[in-house]
Amino acid sequence: MADRSKIGWESSPFIWEVERGKIRELVQAIGDKNPVYLDREAAKKEGYQDTPASPTFVTVPMMWTGVLIRVIKALKINFSRVLHGEEGYEYLKEIYPGDVLMGKIKVTAMDEKVGKAGAMDLIRLEILYTNQRNEPVLKASTLIVERK
Amino acid sequence: MAKELFLRDVSVGDPMPTLVKEPVSKVQLVRYAGASGDFNPLHTDPEIGKAVGIGGQIAHGMLIMGFVGQAITNWVPKKCLKSFFIRFAGMTRPDDVITVTGKVVDKREDNGRIRCEVAARNQKDELIVAGQFEAELPRA
Repeated sequence: MADRSKIGWESSPFIWEVERGKIRELVQAIGDKNPVYLDREAAKKEGYQDTPASPTFVTVPMMWTGVLIRVIKALKINFSRVLHGEEGYEYLKEIYPGDVLMGKIKVTAMDEKVGKAGAMDLIRLEILYTNQRNEPVLKASTLIVERK
Repeated sequence: MAKELFLRDVSVGDPMPTLVKEPVSKVQLVRYAGASGDFNPLHTDPEIGKAVGIGGQIAHGMLIMGFVGQAITNWVPKKCLKSFFIRFAGMTRPDDVITVTGKVVDKREDNGRIRCEVAARNQKDELIVAGQFEAELPRA
């Protein structure tokens, strides 16, 4: 069961440098052929500085830095019983190749719920990403469900 | 790909263009694991899925959210997208065919924003994800 004393807990900052190839690799795995994510010239014609990160890109820094796994361990959550309940983003500025993102993950709420499949803990995580100019670029909110 | 879309072009009740995806493949799940960094073996190893009682591989929820993101930014340019929220409701397996639909539910003249509901369903019409997004559209 998740450790409720950890509401308000915040991770140390994690850093992720955005590569053009990683933006492309993610949309190619999704099967999204929109040229703005793939081709710098196509992106510029549409008014972007470069190929922007696609809407779900920040899953890449969250998973590749391992920060989500660290949080799950810090909260004593049983990883094998974890489901992804919700994911949401607020977009504040575009994320481009070469940007250096900094994120901090914060535990903002924990609740218990009894559903069809039995009792579960709901853990709300929020991440604010800033870029190398210290501009906020994206707010992410994740609901993790731990089945008991 | 997204054509210029103006606020006046959109009304409450309008559908978002529907996106029907190619069947989800096992290779796609491996590619998505590598691209996203989510190496939970439930997504790539059918034996693990059988052992924990879900009967084989299941797709990453974030892959399906990615399909919804694809449908959205095929219609509304990424630079207009202000927020995007998804609730995960069901599991996707290899060979499932996901269809993404959406509908405009609110439009505000004061800030130029539209709000749309979106959903992804499989070939049996089972709900896989549901959510909404907001976009700020140019007036001219």
